[in-house]
Amino acid sequence: MSFDVANNVALQQVLATMEVERKRIAGTQTKGYIFIAAGILLCVIGFFVGFPIPGVIGGLIPLIYGGVLLFKINDSLTAYQNAYKTNVIGAALKFLDESLSINPYQGIEASEFMYTQLFTNEPDRYKTEDLVTGRADKTQFYFAEVHAEYKTVTQTKDGTRTEWHDIFKGIIFAADFNKKFNGVTIVRPKDFGAAFGAWFSKNLFSFGSNDVIQLENLDFDKTFVTYGSDQVESRYILTPAMMERILNLNHQTKYNISLSFIESRMYIAFPLNRNYFEAPVFKSLLSPETVNEDISTIKFMYDIVRELDLNTRIWGKE
Amino acid sequence: MIIALIIIGFIFLIGIFFYNSLIGKKNQVTNAFSAIDVMLKKRFDLIPNLVEVVKQYTTYEQGTLTKIVELRSKAGSPNISNAEKADLDTQLSSSVKGLMVNIENYPDLKANTNFINLQTTWTESEEQIAAARRTYNASVTDYNNSIMMFPGSLFAGMLNFQAIAVLETAAEERKNISAKELFNN
Repeated sequence: MSFDVANNVALQQVLATMEVERKRIAGTQTKGYIFIAAGILLCVIGFFVGFPIPGVIGGLIPLIYGGVLLFKINDSLTAYQNAYKTNVIGAALKFLDESLSINPYQGIEASEFMYTQLFTNEPDRYKTEDLVTGRADKTQFYFAEVHAEYKTVTQTKDGTRTEWHDIFKGIIFAADFNKKFNGVTIVRPKDFGAAFGAWFSKNLFSFGSNDVIQLENLDFDKTFVTYGSDQVESRYILTPAMMERILNLNHQTKYNISLSFIESRMYIAFPLNRNYFEAPVFKSLLSPETVNEDISTIKFMYDIVRELDLNTRIWGKE
Repeated sequence: MIIALIIIGFIFLIGIFFYNSLIGKKNQVTNAFSAIDVMLKKRFDLIPNLVEVVKQYTTYEQGTLTKIVELRSKAGSPNISNAEKADLDTQLSSSVKGLMVNIENYPDLKANTNFINLQTTWTESEEQIAAARRTYNASVTDYNNSIMMFPGSLFAGMLNFQAIAVLETAAEERKNISAKELFNN
């Protein structure tokens, strides 16, 4: 099923109404920025020509005015961005499948983020938004944007310096898995650290309760490191066909994905650079690529269920 | 003198490490087979129920049913080797698969809840056994590698450790199913 934004009359009407609001916000914001720039320019000129005080006074007026303009439009901007998520993204979701819906204020909680066991670092700063929930045939799923960071504090000459590092930025996808299982299976991309860790725990000493699972699919073993609490159960989940499907899914993304299977549910982490489902301010809503990129992301997530064949329910789990 | 002692001590420690890891891998193989065994038992236990349900609906599949029951009792006998057990399971599996295909002709049976349950449990056990077999093969490969590679090969020679064969998937399972063959049976 393809969702054509350009030919969808209802959506085009919504977009046209919102485009008016977008133009108003963009106009005010441009004006605000121009006043701020003019204020700064006046101050600088004042300093250079030898009249710093009149320069600062003269510059402060447009600067404050610009600031007020930006501040006043901020509420409209938030309302516009939420309207975009609810009306445009929401409508696109309904078109794809009636069961889909978006909630801009909800996400995947930090506790669930840690529960997935996809990441080992505990986040110090955690943001999540845009929870999309729904069902593709028999399989219930949800996904949300997540940005988790940890901080490092280093001592410098002038005190301490705090730096923030990404643990993960992207989309976390969760779906009800089609087989019953009790243990934990984790599939992580194989970078140097993971490869060394896997070698170490396999040959020398294993920390924690999870063992390295050596799988017979060479491509899969080259791309991922698999850990599991039960060797047989991990292979029951990662059948030869499932490994192929995961590799296929991984080929479609720019960065390597991570997966975990916990208590009959599967989690997939897709690292992404871009913030999704954000309404453009300085780009027209009516140009098709603006909305299309968000829609193709949703479609991609929706198709995972089919791609991983999660609707085949022949293993005693409805 | 001290250096020589340290070197000897070091070699001795490495020796213990390799010996232990070899024994660990050998035990892992035994352990992996017992996992298959558990799964097989679970599956063999399904057979009487399956036979009962199918019997109620059809009198035409007697031949297949008798064969299945026979295979099951053979597999249940105590003095049977691991390889034989795996082989019996393969035969049993293909007989039941054949039976499931034939059952397409009995709409009443196909709709029976008991039968549907049995069918899902059967497919579930099929996949679990496949997983257990793959685990077994992975442990066997790991063990074989370590007794064939240096320095594990030295110990293996001394302890008379032999390479173990991996479980083969039956030749008929590897073939693509041909509709013609199915209908000619």
